[in-house]
Amino acid sequence: MSILDVKCLIAGYEPGLSIVKGASIHADEREIVVILGPNGAGKSSFIKAIAGLVPVTGGQVLLDGHDITYGAAHLRVRQGLAFVPQTDNIFPLMTVEENLRVAGGVLQRGEVQSRIDETYTMFPDLARQRKLAAGSLSGGQRQMLAVGRALIVHPRVLMLDEPSAGLSPKFVELVFARLNEIRRAGLTIVLVEQNARAALAIGDRAYVLVEGREAHEGRAATLWDDPVVAELYLGQRRHA
Amino acid sequence: MNLQFIVDGLISGSLIGLGAIGITLTYSILRFSNFAHGDFMAWGAYGTLSVVAAIGALVGTTAPMGALSFGWPLILAAIAGMIMTACLALVLDWLLFARLRDRGQSIIVVMASFGASMALRSLLEFIFTSSPTYFSRGIQMAIPIGFGIRITPDQMVMLATTIILVTAMHLFMQRSQTGREMRAYSQNPSLARVVGIDTARVVRATWIIGAALACAAGVMVGILVQIRPLMGLDLLLPMFAAAILGGIGSVPGAVLGGLIIGLSEAAAVQLIGAEWRAAIAFAILMAVLLVRPTGLFGRAER
Ligand SMILES: Nc1ncnc2c1ncn2[C@@H]1O[C@H](COP(=O)(O)OP(=O)(O)OP(=O)(O)O)[C@@H](O)[C@H]1O
Ligand SMILES: [Mg+2]
Repeated sequence: MSILDVKCLIAGYEPGLSIVKGASIHADEREIVVILGPNGAGKSSFIKAIAGLVPVTGGQVLLDGHDITYGAAHLRVRQGLAFVPQTDNIFPLMTVEENLRVAGGVLQRGEVQSRIDETYTMFPDLARQRKLAAGSLSGGQRQMLAVGRALIVHPRVLMLDEPSAGLSPKFVELVFARLNEIRRAGLTIVLVEQNARAALAIGDRAYVLVEGREAHEGRAATLWDDPVVAELYLGQRRHA
Repeated sequence: MNLQFIVDGLISGSLIGLGAIGITLTYSILRFSNFAHGDFMAWGAYGTLSVVAAIGALVGTTAPMGALSFGWPLILAAIAGMIMTACLALVLDWLLFARLRDRGQSIIVVMASFGASMALRSLLEFIFTSSPTYFSRGIQMAIPIGFGIRITPDQMVMLATTIILVTAMHLFMQRSQTGREMRAYSQNPSLARVVGIDTARVVRATWIIGAALACAAGVMVGILVQIRPLMGLDLLLPMFAAAILGGIGSVPGAVLGGLIIGLSEAAAVQLIGAEWRAAIAFAILMAVLLVRPTGLFGRAER
């Protein structure tokens, strides 16, 4: 059974104006699922709707068989679904450590410090800058902080919206290598990416989202060479 | 030169600062200027006064503590008053502000707080009349402490209480999980939800803290000056000035802003003339904002 099963989701920011128009995806345990699509296809809106941040008007989100479609967004981390937004994904005026600590609110009191230490082991850069305001971190370090913060609750599914956006190629490689390690540790990852080649290199399966609907699904390794995808993806982009 | 204005300024400044904490928190977390905040002070003072009267009716007259003008019933009543004022704020939020906030236009919420302010004030005038009243009518002897400065025992205790409350508040915001969640929510409400913060809880905590501190400030004004339905309205502008001067969202900033406003007002009264009181405070506010638009402790995001 899939750990995350999204069925025919319909969601939008304003009443009567759906941006996500019946998109379905599923992710199995320890899978990296990549969501691709042209700019404005609704990838961010889709993943935000799964995270509970965009009002849903139809469809279903099942996490490990439980229906969480209309549950409050703040309950999802407790249920095992963590999310790293595309932009503004840290609290800039709080220190690195406070950013981690504030996310530990859903943990037992005694667990918080050991989880923070765990994060520092995974991202030694953050340990060095623990007392610094998060707003003064570089783009790559911010991304690490956002990922580290999402992982602090030991989620079962981690959703990331363009973690490589704005990063230098060296950092992109680093972030993706980390994601692969995280998957090997037992997590399921749902990854929205513009950087298709890098994402498909670590992904197992991939979807192409066009105009709020998944238009194609396939194995990550072969997806990029699929003529249908080139048509969908590039065709859209040409019009855009 | 008479240095008495230092004590007078510190006292009124710490009361302004205590009230300004609620204003700065409401502004940075709920994102609107709450013009009813001054009326929380007045309601807190009258609520406390009522509890004092109730205790008096139950146990008879009690002796004041030491050299102070009041006894233990006032302390008990002030705690009850803080709880009542917090409930008042929560009810007001549930009835009025929450519904308007959801529609997302901050100016409408501000206008609603104007309305709430007038209604709360009229209600007090209706119940308690508009003539001033006191916790105690006794006259306190001011003790000389050198340099021609005199201070009453009540004033000393109020200064100490303010220091304790403000320190506790600062530690709460910096060290407690609820304080961290409040700061996180003020920086990015939707990210706060992503990291598992119950935003309804943050909103409640903000109202409870702001209203309880407003009540404490109101009771102190009642002890040191007098209780009137208009007492909060009179302090509203200085409190806003203090919150802006200190930097929106900063608890120590609000208190420091309050002290600066209080001291400069007192200095202006003594050195230039009472009619310059408000003007001086606002001249200082303008001057600071020209140099530091985010206020003394305010930080621009990113
Ligand atoms: N907060 C919002 N309020 C209203 N409309 C929005 C909001 N965010 C996005 N939209 C609209 O939703 C549509 C899809 O945007 P979305 O950000 O989901 O696309 P995307 O696939 O993530 O694009 P990108 O690749 O540029 O990140 C766009 O037309 C956009 O205008
Ligand atoms: Mg996007």
